[in-house]
Amino acid sequence: MACCAAVFVCSAQEPGPAKAEEVLQKVCGACHTPQSVLTTRRTRAQWQETIDKMVSLGAKATDEEFAAVLNYLSAQYGPNAADAAAATPAAGAGRRGGRGGAGAAQAPRPASSAAGPDDKHVVDAAAADRGRRVWAAECINCHGTYARGSDNGPNLVRSDIVLHDRYGNEIGPFLKKGHPMQSGSASANLTPVQIAELSHFLHQRVYDTLRGSPIFQMHDILTGDAQAGAAYFNGEGGCTACHSVTGDFKGIASKYDPPTLLGKFLNPRAGGRGGRGGRGAPPAPGVKQVTLTVTPPSGQPVTGVPVVFDDFDVSIRDAAGEYHSWTRTPGLKVVKNDPYAAHDDLLTKYTDKNMHDLLAYLVTLK
Amino acid sequence: MTILRNLTALIFLGAPLAGQQGLNPAKLLEKPTDTWPVYHGDYSGRRYSTLTRINSSNVKGLSMAWFYRTGVGGIKATPLQVGGVLYFSAPDHVWAVDARTGREMWHYAWESKGGIHIGNRGVGIYGNWLYFETPDCNLVSLNIQGGKERWRKTNCDLDEFYYGSVAPLIVKNHVIAGVSGDDLDRPGYVSSYDPETGDLQWRWYVVPQKMGEPGSETWPNEEAMKHGGGMTWQVPTYDPELNLLYVTTGNPQPVIAHKNRAGANLFTASVVALNPDNGKLVWYFQTSPHDTHDWDATQVPVLFDGEINGQRRKLLAIAARNGYFFVLDRTNGKNLVTSEYIPANWAKGVDKNGVPIPDPAKMRKLDGALVSPNARGATNWPPPTYSPQTGLFYVGATRSYSVFYIFDTDDNPQGWGGAERGGGSLGSMIAAIDYKTGKVRWSHKWESGGARSGLMSTAGNVVFTGDGSSNLVALNATTGDALWHANVGAPVGNGPITYDMDGIQYVVVAAGDTLWAFAMNR
Repeated sequence: MACCAAVFVCSAQEPGPAKAEEVLQKVCGACHTPQSVLTTRRTRAQWQETIDKMVSLGAKATDEEFAAVLNYLSAQYGPNAADAAAATPAAGAGRRGGRGGAGAAQAPRPASSAAGPDDKHVVDAAAADRGRRVWAAECINCHGTYARGSDNGPNLVRSDIVLHDRYGNEIGPFLKKGHPMQSGSASANLTPVQIAELSHFLHQRVYDTLRGSPIFQMHDILTGDAQAGAAYFNGEGGCTACHSVTGDFKGIASKYDPPTLLGKFLNPRAGGRGGRGGRGAPPAPGVKQVTLTVTPPSGQPVTGVPVVFDDFDVSIRDAAGEYHSWTRTPGLKVVKNDPYAAHDDLLTKYTDKNMHDLLAYLVTLK
Repeated sequence: MTILRNLTALIFLGAPLAGQQGLNPAKLLEKPTDTWPVYHGDYSGRRYSTLTRINSSNVKGLSMAWFYRTGVGGIKATPLQVGGVLYFSAPDHVWAVDARTGREMWHYAWESKGGIHIGNRGVGIYGNWLYFETPDCNLVSLNIQGGKERWRKTNCDLDEFYYGSVAPLIVKNHVIAGVSGDDLDRPGYVSSYDPETGDLQWRWYVVPQKMGEPGSETWPNEEAMKHGGGMTWQVPTYDPELNLLYVTTGNPQPVIAHKNRAGANLFTASVVALNPDNGKLVWYFQTSPHDTHDWDATQVPVLFDGEINGQRRKLLAIAARNGYFFVLDRTNGKNLVTSEYIPANWAKGVDKNGVPIPDPAKMRKLDGALVSPNARGATNWPPPTYSPQTGLFYVGATRSYSVFYIFDTDDNPQGWGGAERGGGSLGSMIAAIDYKTGKVRWSHKWESGGARSGLMSTAGNVVFTGDGSSNLVALNATTGDALWHANVGAPVGNGPITYDMDGIQYVVVAAGDTLWAFAMNR
């Protein structure tokens, strides 16, 4: 996404929030409602990771659109947006509404997500941290570190009371009735502020079970045997047909972290993180492009990057930037030049051991 | 008898008979050509029309009749066509549009309280009444004449991260409504409501609710089982003669990290046959025992009669998201054919009952397991089609790999607890499967990837679907050759439908926020 940097500095081209939300709706809304991911604030790096993940799942957009989405999410749903979005008194009152999200009440809504108040507890991270202290002092022995319960107390992530709670409005009355606490003091004496903080802590635990939670991350993936990986690289994998550890792969492990490196050799088209699909869009840095060589019945072959390529039409943009378009006919010869065909072939052949060994080897090429 | 019973029910409900605007439910038991009265065209899920006015010889002459732009999000709904009016939905919206001209007759907008707005598959109609689900968990009934709301009922709990997306199916005097949502560990279920009052008639839980009930032996304990997922986000099919409702169920919960749900996890990732009158389970067939890859089995269970090993049988065929194609005897759920229609690497083989045996090495791992297909699946929710003319089952298929990781190492994981990363797609295609053998007879590969488009076949030897270039495409049903296309500006987002009115055969399809109708030039 290095190319995005160019967009950031061009503030004149930066879409405003309303426009950016349209882009968000267009890019993300193709598969899911954007609101479904806006339960938790994330840093810019975390939002970038989320976007990368979506790209790997097939999200399609231009680099400008991805940059606009990243900027919008970082600004509206970043850690610093917390006070503006969630901690206002108005946002707390009667907040009901879908997974919909943090800050959605302030931001103009995309047309397709319709109106209606939010129906979710938006977590205030600072309040949740304070709630964690109450939790450790009074609750953790029975309900566990993650509120998932123990032999002595039920799982609160699955609790109907917690799920229906908003800022303590269900948990509060429950605790007022009297509930055993670690210190032996009466639960009815918890202050409204403590209850609200516990509520933030518990909802944070619930949201941490959702997809994309920043709490749960990839573990160590460097479990392979580097020596076996070298043998695969030089032998069975056939990697040396195109690559050299003293040439293009020199220092490759310094350029990419292990997950990116793994992503790159599984699917180099993705720039390491998945398939940037936008046809005609510029490739990720360092990614070679599929080209088509089209030969009309009477004429010279023309080679270029495909813009449209289907059963009926083909169009390309050549190296000079010129656009060519044809209707596909039996006499029109179209040859696809795929620089990564060998990687596609390998994808069907790797064992998990091959994959882990190869990664273990590539990370030694610092 | 069934028709008589339905007519009686209809008169009892005070709904109008055919000739007026309402839906005569007898139509649901025919193979109608002048209407598309139910999500799949008829109860069988075949999405096959006997119309031949448009056929493989003349389809090149198909041209646009009209278009209607909603201006609201993407349409994934299959429209119903009743009494010359098309009824379709998007999340929080329902429209009625003149099926001849595309003119809007009414538009109903629901004020949402939230829920996931990923899509809405469509509406159900019975007599003068229309039914649809909202993302915020309501089942709503409208009068089809003007779109006026009659009642709304709660079908799920938004706070438990359920939502509504599936089209209700009307069977006799039952409105069958599924439920969506796999973010938290909640049980899936399917419900039946009274079409008149909206009162709940029965609810069948996909996961048993008490130890000792059938299926509970495939769970480690009641806590895991009651929270075991299995969402019902595909429209069921129905056999009126057998009076069996075929429901497909979603993935178990927690989705990825699976330490706390040892066992096959019935009745998740399964095809189940229910009695529609009481919601009792008659038989089941599990396509992915102990799924750990987010492969639900919520693909369309397609019903047709055919010959297997020389014997005429009542069949059910399903191309599952996990890469396998199954043919069952739909009277008893017995497996007749199991095959891979996309190479799958997650099973060690197939057991004596035709069920794939998951390979523990290909379950999610801390350092990643390379699995085919990926979580999007070899196919997904878009409807396939079966043509009795060719004996082929057509499905939009993708060959893909991704690396599945466990992130949450807790002994009691919740929700997802992992993810897939990396990998790639090796191409999308229409696969034409010979149901007798499960072998792919031909596949038509899309040069520029696939779209999530549904399919429809006709007796005109044509299959309609969408490609990755935003084309609506007609293929020769016998050979798979591309015959015709029209660029509809966005990927075809639903299953195409067809109907004949005033001697004109229409093909209607949705792309983006627009409904397009095609017909022969006159």
